[in-house]
Amino acid sequence: MNPLLEQFLSEARDFLQGIGEKLMQLENAPDDAALMGELFRLVHTLKGNSGLFDFPEMTRVLHAGEDLMDAVRNGRVAYSRLLADCLLDAMDFVGMLCNEIEANGAMGVTHAGTSVRLVESLRQLMERDAAGPRHADTIETAEAETASGATEHPSASFRADLPLAVIPEAARMDAYRHAGAGHLLHWIAYTPSEQCFYQGEDPFFLARQTPELRWGCIEARDPWPPLAEMDAYCCLLDFCLLTAAPRAELEEHYRYVMDQVEIAPLPRLALVLPQGDSNGGPVYDDFATDARHLLATGDLVGLARNAGTMLELSNPDLWIASALRWLRLMLEIEPENRAALAVLVESLSRLAAPDWASIQIGTTGSAEHSEITRPSQPDDGQFVATASESRPMEPINQGQAMANGPASAEADALAAIVATQREILALTDDPAWLPGRIKAAAAALAGCLRVSVAPDALPGLETGLDAATTLALADNSGAALLAWLDGQFSPSLDLSDAEGAAADGSVNAEETTATMARESTTQAPLAPTPPPEGDGEIKFGRRAEDAIAGPKSLKVDQAKIDRLMNLIGEMVVAKNALPYLAGRAEAVFGVRELSRDIKGHYAVINRIAEEMQDAIMQVRMMPVSFVFQRFPRLVRDISRKLGKEVNLVLEGEETEADKNIIEALGDPLMHIVRNSLDHGIELPEVRRVAGKPAAGTLTLRAAQESDRVVIVIQDDGKGIDPDAIKRKAYAKGLIDEATLERIGDQEAVNLVFAAGFSTAEQVSDLSGRGVGMDVVRTAVDKVNGTLALTSERGRGTHLSLSLPLSMAVTNVMIVVSDGQRFGIPMDSVVETVRVPRAAIRTIKHSLATVLRGRIVPLKSINGLLGLDVAPKANADDELAVLVVRLGNEAVGLLVDDFRETLDIILKPMTGVLAGIPAYAGSALMGDGSVLMVLNVKEIL
Amino acid sequence: MSIEFKRNLAVFREVVSVEEAEGLLEWLQKKPTAKVDLGACVHLHPANLQVLMAAKPVIQTWPTDAQLRVWLESALVAH
Amino acid sequence: MSKTIMIVDDSATMVLSLKSTLEMNGFKVETAGDGAQALAKLKAGVRPDLIITDINMPNMGGLELIKNVRALLGFRFTPILTLTTESQAEKRDEGKKLGATGWLVKPVPGPDLIKVIKQVLPGA
Repeated sequence: MNPLLEQFLSEARDFLQGIGEKLMQLENAPDDAALMGELFRLVHTLKGNSGLFDFPEMTRVLHAGEDLMDAVRNGRVAYSRLLADCLLDAMDFVGMLCNEIEANGAMGVTHAGTSVRLVESLRQLMERDAAGPRHADTIETAEAETASGATEHPSASFRADLPLAVIPEAARMDAYRHAGAGHLLHWIAYTPSEQCFYQGEDPFFLARQTPELRWGCIEARDPWPPLAEMDAYCCLLDFCLLTAAPRAELEEHYRYVMDQVEIAPLPRLALVLPQGDSNGGPVYDDFATDARHLLATGDLVGLARNAGTMLELSNPDLWIASALRWLRLMLEIEPENRAALAVLVESLSRLAAPDWASIQIGTTGSAEHSEITRPSQPDDGQFVATASESRPMEPINQGQAMANGPASAEADALAAIVATQREILALTDDPAWLPGRIKAAAAALAGCLRVSVAPDALPGLETGLDAATTLALADNSGAALLAWLDGQFSPSLDLSDAEGAAADGSVNAEETTATMARESTTQAPLAPTPPPEGDGEIKFGRRAEDAIAGPKSLKVDQAKIDRLMNLIGEMVVAKNALPYLAGRAEAVFGVRELSRDIKGHYAVINRIAEEMQDAIMQVRMMPVSFVFQRFPRLVRDISRKLGKEVNLVLEGEETEADKNIIEALGDPLMHIVRNSLDHGIELPEVRRVAGKPAAGTLTLRAAQESDRVVIVIQDDGKGIDPDAIKRKAYAKGLIDEATLERIGDQEAVNLVFAAGFSTAEQVSDLSGRGVGMDVVRTAVDKVNGTLALTSERGRGTHLSLSLPLSMAVTNVMIVVSDGQRFGIPMDSVVETVRVPRAAIRTIKHSLATVLRGRIVPLKSINGLLGLDVAPKANADDELAVLVVRLGNEAVGLLVDDFRETLDIILKPMTGVLAGIPAYAGSALMGDGSVLMVLNVKEIL
Repeated sequence: MSIEFKRNLAVFREVVSVEEAEGLLEWLQKKPTAKVDLGACVHLHPANLQVLMAAKPVIQTWPTDAQLRVWLESALVAH
Repeated sequence: MSKTIMIVDDSATMVLSLKSTLEMNGFKVETAGDGAQALAKLKAGVRPDLIITDINMPNMGGLELIKNVRALLGFRFTPILTLTTESQAEKRDEGKKLGATGWLVKPVPGPDLIKVIKQVLPGA
């Protein structure tokens, strides 16, 4: 599994846990805004994280949860138990998905239904509360915003006098050529805010990176102040840019500074702006007359030739030369656009700037717009002055493109382009360049599609266009393309009806934006209202510390700790070899001094090893809260299911014990608590009758007592009825009649731990799952724990578990039998005695002896292990007896001899050996041999 | 430092950051006849640029980076 | 010289995700689990060329962090990007008002992250 996924899963569990806790806490304090904020943050962050992966079901549910929490947080939806239930269900689902991902590395495919159902129930909660005017408001506002969005950058804000003339002719020609290939040009005026440097912005860098940048310039906003008064960090620069990128791409690029940018579509003909010295040049009056004639007869080749000749005769710096260069370029790029060519020819004849407004260049603006002339205000910025210097003739009318809002202007432009293509295709002449003309029209239409159609619809339309183009080229006639065009765009779109066409276009564009905006509204219906900043009142530092290698704590994989512990264990074992070595140094090689040195060093290493052991034990310590924290939810769910009222009290959650112990505690505790809720605490009415408060109290208390941790589970329920237990035990054959008469109440109560005992009259789905409290006993035994149960009828039950703090180091006694060494855990060893053979009796085939007035049964360890060898006696004919505790009884194990006691790191049996219950595990000895540690309870 | 101030010449190298603008302004205030070498400069924060535009020092070397040069000429060459 | 980027997020998963993308692209990465930690690191001499911060965090949220960072002398001009979700448009604007340069929308695909960084960090 990749580390990111691992991290996600581990963190997701923390989050889910935290979400559960917060929800529990909210039940008691539903108005706690800080708590609510914290809860929102957890759901929000978890959702964000899930988005990093492809887990749509998970993200969907979390998203709905986040929206709901946001609504609750902002007071739009009231917190309720139902709501908490729904959220808990959703988080359980997410937890289940996490488990599945962890187990299989991927999520199953069968969860879509559940996730949809959960999302629905979460959304319903939101709608039910938030329905009515408020909800409607949200939608209306969104639509209003959409509508205003479509007409943003009102015409008034855009300067009608674009200083296009300052753009070098080469750059303009380049852009014009580019636009001829179907790209829309845009003019950008970028006016960074004066304080923008303090926002980490670099407007120059941003401008330089403008996509498809054709030209740009920087100018001062105001005349510069004297240097001594200048503030270097007050941005006084403006940027003008000419680009061939689509509007969407530009909006994306400038998205952080949209309020400082104006983007306007620029008709390419606006760039056709001859400039230069208007005085002088060859006098060739006939040129204009000839040109008009050539244009009228369609002899564009002739026109181009004439222009070329004329150009050769002219000084390139002259205005006329510039106009001729443009004429040649236009003939190359858009020879079909007769109207435009005619305008340029007129301009040439008058030595005046081309009047593009007269042919409605690409924008088909309405009449009122074309009336707008450039308001020439010399002190309107440097550009105007600069522009008028290089522009010899009267101002150009090019306001109409900019006067409309860019969005509708763009739609106008599109409509115009389509109309022009339609006109071109409808031409019935058959010039040599017809294929080129068809291709050009197709390219222009393709460009229109790219900017106007949704990306997912694009491929289909493009295919259609391609097919039509191929057909048209094969026929050598525009008819096929024209037919396609009629199919795609309303046929009413043509030049004679340009205004209607423009209106159509813009309506369509607005509809598209509106639809898109509506979609995004449904995706994020709860955007507004600022959430209260997640103030740190509620301590959640743990997660923060996880996130970075913080100074306080470190989250380490369990496997790494285990490895460290194993290594330390080996170290402990390895150091045990030193005394053996010292012994050999003295006994075999006779160097006593070396032996003493080795022993000295051994003492040092021993101390360090012990400290290491202690340290790793500390690392493995975990607070009991790890187990306790799941109970609030559990108790809540179960008690509500049973119709009982229960207050859960948790105490001493900070008490620590070894991780293994804490983990082993989980299942028994769960079982005990369930039992308590199911059988202990009564229904509220029953309690009231008994004079108790309606709500029962269940207490979980942890405390450390010397080297053990004691967990107490106490309830104030009806207690255990000893007589009922006795009868039941008798009925189940667990005790005989004699015992039934004899045993006291306390003993009877302990019968609940007997295997196969269950008092519940009805097997409920909660505690009585066919197993009784015996599973608890078994689990506690496994970790060398003990448990004590006391109960008072009508007053409640008190169960106490006592567990070792740590079980990583086991103190064992080594015994020898049949030449083999075995370890016996010291926990179970009572004493070692040597018993004369004569003192051993045989009672009914069993051996026994009397120790301090008590009969102790004896078992031969060889016999128990299936070794057919009699125990060896010592020289005095005494047998070695290791007395061990088995429950409340003592049993003597006959062994050959006793050896030392040792601290060992017990390794559980693994692999095929794991199934052999006779051994608790194994340990490595100092001399490299393996010690098998017996599981005394099992072999007896 | 991506601006090196020599006796009467400021040499810009690589990316000149926003933090440098204050120092550049002070230096240019003291040296009205200073020159600037932009040869090795690939980008300069506009805070620096506007200081240059206001102080109008002699540009001794234009940037080798052609694109940057075009930009800077639009801003620094008097219209 | 490789640029240093500081990531501030209380989600270790988000931090890891961004960090690995950035490191793969040759950036040095500093991390902090909340605004307070980030601020402490900046005061202790960590000098990132760019700060990417989550909004909703314990101890000190992203918006407060931005306010505090802008008040530190050495960080008046440091680009700051906020990490937001698609529904947090208001937070983005608020962040900008307080001095953020821009925002990222979670989850941030690797190429987008790098593209934005190259856009706000000259020389990256």
